[in-house]
Amino acid sequence: MTTTLATEDASATPLVQLRNISKTFGGIKVLKNVDFDVRRGEVHALLGENGAGKSTLIKILSGFHHPDEGGELTVNGAPVAFSAPRDARNAGIATVYQELLLFPDMTVAENIFIGHAPRTGMALDWNEMRRRARALLDDLDSPDLDVDARVGGLSVANRQRVEIAKALSQDARLLIMDEPTASLADADVRRLLDVVRRLRARGVAIIYISHRMPEIFALADRVTVLRDGALIGTRPIGEVDDAALVSMMVGRSIDQLFPKVTVPIGAPVLELRNVSFKDEVQDISLVLRAGEILGIAGLVGSGRTELALTIFGITPATSGEILLNGEPVTIRSPRQARDIGIAYVPEDRGLQGLVKAQTIRENVSMALLSRISRASIVNRALESSMARDAIARFGIRARGPEQRAGQLSGGNQQKVVLAKWVATNPKVLIMDEPTRGIDVGAKSEIHALMCKLAGEGLAVIMISSELPEVLGMSDRILVMNGGRMVKTFDRSEATPDVVGAAMTHAGAAHGRAEQAGSAP
Amino acid sequence: MTLRSFLRHEAVLGFLLIVVLFLLAQQSDKFFTTANILNQGRLMAEVGLIALPMTFVIITGGIDLSVGSILGLCAILLGVFWHNLGLPLPVAMVLAIVVGGIAGLINGLIITRFKVPPLIATLATLALYRGLAEGISQARSVRGYPDWFFVLGQGEVLGVPTQLWILVIFAIIAAAILGLTTFGRATYAVGANETAARFSGINVDRTKLLIYTGAGLISGLAAVIFVSRVSTTRSDMGTGVELDVITAVVLGGTSIFGGRGTIIGTVVGLILVQALKNGLALSGVKGDGTIVVIGLVLILAILATNLFSRNGDG
Repeated sequence: MTTTLATEDASATPLVQLRNISKTFGGIKVLKNVDFDVRRGEVHALLGENGAGKSTLIKILSGFHHPDEGGELTVNGAPVAFSAPRDARNAGIATVYQELLLFPDMTVAENIFIGHAPRTGMALDWNEMRRRARALLDDLDSPDLDVDARVGGLSVANRQRVEIAKALSQDARLLIMDEPTASLADADVRRLLDVVRRLRARGVAIIYISHRMPEIFALADRVTVLRDGALIGTRPIGEVDDAALVSMMVGRSIDQLFPKVTVPIGAPVLELRNVSFKDEVQDISLVLRAGEILGIAGLVGSGRTELALTIFGITPATSGEILLNGEPVTIRSPRQARDIGIAYVPEDRGLQGLVKAQTIRENVSMALLSRISRASIVNRALESSMARDAIARFGIRARGPEQRAGQLSGGNQQKVVLAKWVATNPKVLIMDEPTRGIDVGAKSEIHALMCKLAGEGLAVIMISSELPEVLGMSDRILVMNGGRMVKTFDRSEATPDVVGAAMTHAGAAHGRAEQAGSAP
Repeated sequence: MTLRSFLRHEAVLGFLLIVVLFLLAQQSDKFFTTANILNQGRLMAEVGLIALPMTFVIITGGIDLSVGSILGLCAILLGVFWHNLGLPLPVAMVLAIVVGGIAGLINGLIITRFKVPPLIATLATLALYRGLAEGISQARSVRGYPDWFFVLGQGEVLGVPTQLWILVIFAIIAAAILGLTTFGRATYAVGANETAARFSGINVDRTKLLIYTGAGLISGLAAVIFVSRVSTTRSDMGTGVELDVITAVVLGGTSIFGGRGTIIGTVVGLILVQALKNGLALSGVKGDGTIVVIGLVLILAILATNLFSRNGDG
C-alpha cells in the first residue's frame, strides 16, 4: 500500500516501519495485519474513530504492548523488539500523551531531564541542566517559559511544550503526538502547529493523531486511516479531501450505521428548569418526552457529563428545579435518582459502571438488591434467573451468569451495565458515551437496544463525543459549551456542519478561557 | 465463579489446618485433649469476635487498628461505671458496649465524612482511645466483681466455655449477613469498586459507618468478656489485639485490597493461629519462635492466595 506514494521526497528507508502487525487482547483482535511507516522529516497523521486501533498502534510503537507473532517492526531498516517503554525511548521514539505525564512539584528543567540529568561526577550539574533546558525551549520558540518554574503552575500549553522538550532532550527521532490540541485554546494551537513544523524541518518524524480535520490538512504530509483495527489506507495529503477521509474512517453512510427507528413521542417525563451546578452546569432548561432520544453534543469539558451527574444526583443541583412526570423532585444522591426512576449508564465503564471482579449476576442485580430481597435476604434464585434473562435479552456473549464481568469484551461489559439499569425499570435512561471503545458490531447492537427501549416508552438522553452517533440516533440534539446549552436542533435540521459549528464556535472562547484558567 | 474460588482457597487453608493439627498432636500428647481444646476456645474468643467485623472492614478495603484500644477503653469504663459510679453491673456492661459502638462510629465518621484513609484515621484513634483509657484509669485496676459475672469469661454452658458459644453464634450471624443479605452485597461491592457501587445507588457511606460502628460494638463486647475472664480491669488490656485480629482475617483469605473474603475463612484462620500458638508452646517452643512461625505461615498463605487469584482472574 505504501508503494503508491511516490510524491514525497522521502529517503529510501523509512525511519520506522511496521509490517503485518496484529495485536490480540483476550481473544479479540484489535489490530489486524497493519502496515505503517514514518519517514524522517515527515508529519504522518493517524486517523480513525474511537476503538479503531490508533492507541494500540502507538502503544506498540512506544513499547507498552508487544505485537502478536508474525509482525515486524524496524527502525532504520533494522528489526527491533521492544520489551519495555525504555527500549522504545532508547531507539529514539518518544510519545506526548493526551494526559501529560509530568511531575507537578518539580521545575521545568528537572522535568525535562528527569532520569538523564547531566552530572559532574556523582552530583547533578544544575547549571548545565538549566542551560540545556533553556536551549531546548528556545528551540521550541518558547523563550518566555522559565526553566525554574514549577510545572504544576503552568498552563496546559506550556506543560505540553515541556513534554516535547523532554522528548527532544532524549534525542527523539520520532515523536508521537496523541491529540495534542484537544485541550488547547486557538492561539496555543497555532503555536503548537508552528512547533511541529519546526521539528519537521529539523528532520524529526512525527505521528500526529487528531480529530480536527483543519489541523491535519494544515500539517500532515501523509495520512493513514484505521478502522476496526484494520488499515484502510495511507495517502499523501494532496490526494484526499475532508469527505474522502470521513468515508474512509466510517466506511459506510451514516444511515446504514445507525438503525434509527422512529417511534411515537409521548408525554413529557423529565423537565429541567434553570438547573445549575456551581459553574460547571449553568442554567439548563429542557423537556424530555417518553420515547424520545435526546442527544447531547459538545466537546470534552463542555458540561455534558456534568449535566448527567447533576440529574443523577452525584453532584446535586445547586439551583433550579427538576420535575418528573410533572412533579417537582429533589435528587441529592444516586440512590434517590434510582428510586424515582432515573438510570445512568456512566461514561467510564470500568470505573463507574461495573464491578469487574464480580460476576454478571452480581453486577446485574446491584442497583435493585432491595427489590429482590425479603427481610434483607437476597433471593438468589430470582437473581440468577434475572441474570440469565439479561444475558438472553441483551445478547451478552458470556459463559453464564457466574462469569466475571471483567472477563467480557468491552461491548458485552456495556450491555451488562445497560442490563443493570434497565432491570430497575427506569423512566429516564441517561447514556454517557454508550459506545466508547467498543467494536462496530457491538456498537450497532447497543444502538438497536437503545431504539428498542425508546420504543417501549423510555425517555433517553444520549451523550456522545461521536458526532455521527449523535446525528444518527437522536430525535433532538442539544449542544453544550462552557456548561451552557448553546443550541438545540431537530433531527431534520441537524447536519454535521451546523452541529459541529455550534460545538466549536459559539461561545467556544468562553469554554476554553475557563479551561486555561483552571489549568494550574 | 467467585464463590468457587473462595471455597478453593478455604479448602487449601482447611487442609493446612489439618496438617498443622496433626503435626502438633505428634509433638505433645496434651494437645489433643478435650480440656486443652476447650481452653483454647476460651482464649481465642475475644480475638475471634473482633475478627468477625474486621472481616467486613477489610472486605471494604479498609482497616481498623483501633479495636485493641477500644477494648482497653471499654474494659476500663466497665470498671469505672460499676465501681466508681456505682451503677448496677448489667447496666455498666451495656454502657461499656455502647461506648465501644460510639468509638467505632467516630472512626466511621472520620473515614466517611472527612475522607481520611482508614489506616490513618484508626492509627490516630488507636492512640486516642488508649490515651483516654489510661487517663481514666490512673493506673489503678478494678477488682472484686460478683461471682455471676465470671460465668461469661470463666464459666461453661453444657460443658463448653460460655464465650465459645457466643463466638459461634456471632460467627453464624456474621456469615449470614455477609453471605446472604443486601448489606453483605453492598460490603463486597464497596470493596471491589467503590465508585461503581455509588453509581449503582448503594449507600457507600452508610455501609462503612455501620461496619466501623459494628467493629466498635463487638470490641466492647470482647472487653466485657476479657474482664470476666481475667477477673480484673486494667487500662493496657487489648494492647496489640488488632494485629492478632488482622492476622487471622488475612490468613483466612480476605484480600487486604478489598472485595474478597469470607467469615468461614476468618474462622479457619483464627483456629490455625491459635493452634500454632498453643501447639508450639506445648512442644516447648519459646514465644519468640511461635511468632516467627505465625509470620511464616501468614506469608505462605498470602502467596497461595496470590497464586490462586492469578489463576482465576480475567
